[in-house]
Amino acid sequence: MSEGEAQAPSKSPSPSKAELDRDFSELYKAHLRDVYSYAYYRVGNHHDAEDLTEQAFLQAYRHFERARQESDGRPMRPWLIRIAHNLAANLYRDRSRRPVANIEAVEPPAHPHTTEQVVEGREELRLIMRMLRGLPEERREALIMRFALGMDNREIARALGKTDGATKVLIHRALKQLSELMEAERGEPRDD
Amino acid sequence: MTEPGRMDLEALLADALRPIEPPEKVAGRVESTLSAITEEAAAALGSWAEELSDSELESLRDPRNWVRPVAAVAVGGLAAGALVVVEARRRRKPTGLRANASRLIGDFGSELRR
Repeated sequence: MSEGEAQAPSKSPSPSKAELDRDFSELYKAHLRDVYSYAYYRVGNHHDAEDLTEQAFLQAYRHFERARQESDGRPMRPWLIRIAHNLAANLYRDRSRRPVANIEAVEPPAHPHTTEQVVEGREELRLIMRMLRGLPEERREALIMRFALGMDNREIARALGKTDGATKVLIHRALKQLSELMEAERGEPRDD
Repeated sequence: MTEPGRMDLEALLADALRPIEPPEKVAGRVESTLSAITEEAAAALGSWAEELSDSELESLRDPRNWVRPVAAVAVGGLAAGALVVVEARRRRKPTGLRANASRLIGDFGSELRR
């Protein structure tokens, strides 16, 4: 899904309720999969991901008019993901525990390869999911946004409330740490 | 330029973190909740307007009925202003012979302690 699909409409003096509802419906259709994917990789199970997605869109609906005015024509996806991000944080806090299943429990998707490749590939994928769990939360979030949602640095920066530069550094460090964790797990020596 | 190891890692991440298609029921659930909210809001607005009788609407428009609220706001404002003045006077430092003498004694005491 390309980011351009749900740009915020240009500002009009006071859009009618019907116009707002129609624009929100477009936003919802364009980004349901993004919000769900983010929620799923964040909480690690379909049940909580469904709740989180529903809550995120309800909250977005309540604040849509103001957010649209403030977005000044910029894409709304980072705003939606930020809502889901905050809700997920609240979910953990309210339950006072980590989710029952987390990202490491997420089954990697199936691939159309030979059985041997599939087994080997799935082991690699399981390993990387497990190693992702070892990253600090913010680094893991940034990688989910980049790879599961295809967000660029600017979008991730807006979703996390950071500057573009800080986000670039965050992703670089996340990849470096993940690479080190993978090497350590495989017993390979590091280059640096 | 991107290092080969990092490229492999990024390819692996892209493979592991594929977008997840939401189950059909999620879309249905979100849509029905949103339409319920919109309908509720519309119904609430409609019933509120219906509850006001014609005479009530007419009296709301009559400027003669605005005197009481305006007077209430004015009286409230005066009372708040008076409270502010009283509080400011209370906080002001005391002046006069007795106050000066007491301040001098205090200053003298602190000099002695040094």
